[in-house]
Amino acid sequence: MKLLIVDDSNVIRQRIARLAGDARLPNLEIVGQARNGAEALSLFVRHRPDVVTMDLTMPELGGVECTEQIVAIDDNVNILVVSALSDKSTAITALKKGARGFLYKPFTEDQLVEALLEMLPT
Amino acid sequence: MSDLNETEIKVFIDAVTNYFNQLTQEPANVRGAFLDDNGGTAPVFDYSGQIAVSGQFRGTITVSAPRAMIRHLLLALNESDQSDANLRDTIGELANTLAGNARKHFGGEMEISVPRTAAGAIGGSGSRKRPYVIMVSWKTYSASLVVDIERLE
Repeated sequence: MKLLIVDDSNVIRQRIARLAGDARLPNLEIVGQARNGAEALSLFVRHRPDVVTMDLTMPELGGVECTEQIVAIDDNVNILVVSALSDKSTAITALKKGARGFLYKPFTEDQLVEALLEMLPT
Repeated sequence: MSDLNETEIKVFIDAVTNYFNQLTQEPANVRGAFLDDNGGTAPVFDYSGQIAVSGQFRGTITVSAPRAMIRHLLLALNESDQSDANLRDTIGELANTLAGNARKHFGGEMEISVPRTAAGAIGGSGSRKRPYVIMVSWKTYSASLVVDIERLE
């Protein structure tokens, strides 16, 4: 499966990239890392990933809008929102736009792996 | 306009506690909040990250920490790249996480910006004359969290 990582923090992108290689997960090929929603859209169209980890608060184009636009292109995509915004209404909004999971920052390694496992098709 | 109350300040203290517990499994010691009566005298360390707040609130949330502490945080994240860019990235992400976690209490009426970062002090558009300063100890390091926001009525 192809994975696209979207976060304006380089440290978080690299952390997710490392954890994507966890032995508990299916083989995930990282096809791109985006710093904002606009980059994410461009990379999504080019690589058509199966899985996207999506930050919400980003410059240029935020994660909620980006999620909506990606789902409009491919509603089979598995989007896991990974965000510090921990209010219920934000999570509900992201899920209504088409995200399939929500993980709050700060997250542990196990929490990210479990969130991906819950969301991915078996 | 109105100040945050004690319960609302505790939201930020809880966010700090949760951050260090989750990421490092090594608790931080939060030394309560105090009002910076003199204005602008909160401790400033090597790197600062700031989130601007808007919506039903106005002001800034600023974290400042020493270089060695941020390097230690990077190690806790298994990140070997300890470049200046990654140190700034980490302090910005810390500010973003604390502000974002606070929305569990304040909800979507508190909109937050992407982080700004700086080496040393960071200029801001805080609104209070007497911001709340929360001092944090983790390992042997000290850091500061300045909550300089008010609720619009």
